Amino acid sequence: MSNEGHVKKVSKRGLSVILIAGMAAVVIILSTMTAYIGFAEFTAVLEQQYNDSAYEVAETAKTYLNPEKFSQYLDTLEKDEEFELIQQRLDDLTNATDCNFIYVGVVDSNYTSTTYIYDSVNSSLGFDRYPLGYTSKDVDPNYAEDLKHIVETGGRAEKYLYSYGESGAHTSAGLAVKNAEGKVVGIIGVEKTMRVLENARAKYVNHVVTIAAIILVIAVVLYSLYLHRTVISPIKDITNEAERFAEDHQTGSELKAVSSKFEIGVLARSVKKMESDIMQYIDNITKITAEKERISAELNVATQIQADMLPSIFPAFPDRNEFDIYATMNPAKEVGGDFYDFFLIDDDHLAMVMADVSGKGVPAALFMVIAKTIIKNHAQLGELSPAKVLMQANEQLCEGNEAELFVTVWLGILEISTGKGKAANAGHEHPALRRKDGKFELIQYRHSPAVATMDGIRFKEHDFELYPGDTLFVYTDGVAEATDAHNELYGGDRMIDALNKDPNASPKELLATVKKSVDEFVGEAPQFDDITMLGLKYFGAEGNK
Amino acid sequence: MNIIKTQNGENLTVKVEGRLDTVTAPQLDSELKASIEGIKTLTLDFSALEYISSAGLRVLLSMQKLMNKQGEMIVKGSSAAILEIFEVTGFIDLLNIE
Repeated sequence: MSNEGHVKKVSKRGLSVILIAGMAAVVIILSTMTAYIGFAEFTAVLEQQYNDSAYEVAETAKTYLNPEKFSQYLDTLEKDEEFELIQQRLDDLTNATDCNFIYVGVVDSNYTSTTYIYDSVNSSLGFDRYPLGYTSKDVDPNYAEDLKHIVETGGRAEKYLYSYGESGAHTSAGLAVKNAEGKVVGIIGVEKTMRVLENARAKYVNHVVTIAAIILVIAVVLYSLYLHRTVISPIKDITNEAERFAEDHQTGSELKAVSSKFEIGVLARSVKKMESDIMQYIDNITKITAEKERISAELNVATQIQADMLPSIFPAFPDRNEFDIYATMNPAKEVGGDFYDFFLIDDDHLAMVMADVSGKGVPAALFMVIAKTIIKNHAQLGELSPAKVLMQANEQLCEGNEAELFVTVWLGILEISTGKGKAANAGHEHPALRRKDGKFELIQYRHSPAVATMDGIRFKEHDFELYPGDTLFVYTDGVAEATDAHNELYGGDRMIDALNKDPNASPKELLATVKKSVDEFVGEAPQFDDITMLGLKYFGAEGNK
Repeated sequence: MNIIKTQNGENLTVKVEGRLDTVTAPQLDSELKASIEGIKTLTLDFSALEYISSAGLRVLLSMQKLMNKQGEMIVKGSSAAILEIFEVTGFIDLLNIE
């Protein structure tokens, strides 16, 4: 495994921490909201209840009073027997109903001071009562509005119901006291403690918090166990498996999550499927690569064998100075269907072959081997008529030619001593000829069909004559049909131009010039067809001087 | 390359448009082989054919051999350039060119 491919080990705690913390946060928020709503509801109900009972006490206390005597008491500050009796009953009521105070007084016209008539204080508080006629100047501004409301409407106080001050939680009730004519002559105030409420509320909050904490702990534990079993552990398994597979490319053990009904199961099955697919691909690619290498090695040998079949040692006839011959073949693939050949039939006759099997690659190469061998065999038997050589080759090649390949052949047989010769063209390219001091030109004439096309073809042949200094150039369609990146053909005209660049050059140089010109034209485009060329320069019987 | 086939009973006319080269020849070969059953006259219309390579010639040769057994094959409408290829390659002697 290369370093680039190595998967960096990262902490896999992340997922479980996020999921559980999220769950805990939700539980905490929910229980806080529940507790708060419960707390508020609880408080509201109890406050209302306490306040109602404070008003009940106030109503009861009101029945004890004799409002007709209020002004007399305040004017004289004298307590009579009835006063004392009422005072006693109010004191009893205060203690019995667990009130802090019950007082009766008169408010001044600005609602800033209260002058007390009766004032009962719960005995447990340990305060002294305000005496009859005592005026308290420091009326809480919060009371003022209420006092005004009570006096003006003769009804209840509208607000200032609850207080949670230092003296403990309490609720207040305020009522107007009217005389027989219905005139408001004073007010009665009751302050009742809410100690029970305060305690109960604290208890409630404690309970809720405790229960919420217990539920939170249990829920988090259960949830994380569940989460771990159904999600986190399978994901860790899958992650580890994927990481392992990325490292060593070996099939591992089965994943537990494969049987899961959730998406995790799908993920696990996909990972497993992907693993087996990749294993299979690797297997296939390994086999294909091995096969390809084997084929490639065999093709290399085939290329070598094919190259060895063509005469490739130059100068080919070091002891003959009547002519100079040179030929090349560049297959487009490893092996090609083109071939050239030249050999001496006897001391005075040189046979030259340029041929192109239809198709490319191995099938064409196999056909080329047969065609080349048959043509050479028939010619070397002493047959000096190219048409007859081709006819015999045609008969043999047509036998069992199921692949229906055929081969275009130019076959020329030159009498070296005279320069006279015969040539047959079985569907091949036009040869190019340069007379001494002239220019290369294509020799165009009607050709015979290609070899191996049909049984019993009669091939045409014609005479030609070379004079000292003449140069003959034969080639396959790979030259004229070389194609550049824009799909443009090289064409016969460019080939002739290339040949005429240096018409006096030796065959070897000529071929190199044409090849270079083709390569420059084609550029980066891939070679599409075999490129095969043969050049012959004739010096005459006298030889090259 | 485009291949347009028109069948009229035992007569099949196949119009070939574009280039018939190494890449497209196998396509024409399989198209023709799949459609000549029971055909007595196969007419190849080359009026829109731009180029034919040796691979294309091989398809023609192969079809000519098949049609020799069951009827005839006619090649018509070839342009001057195509005719020249037929002439140079000697196919002019092998095919029935109109």
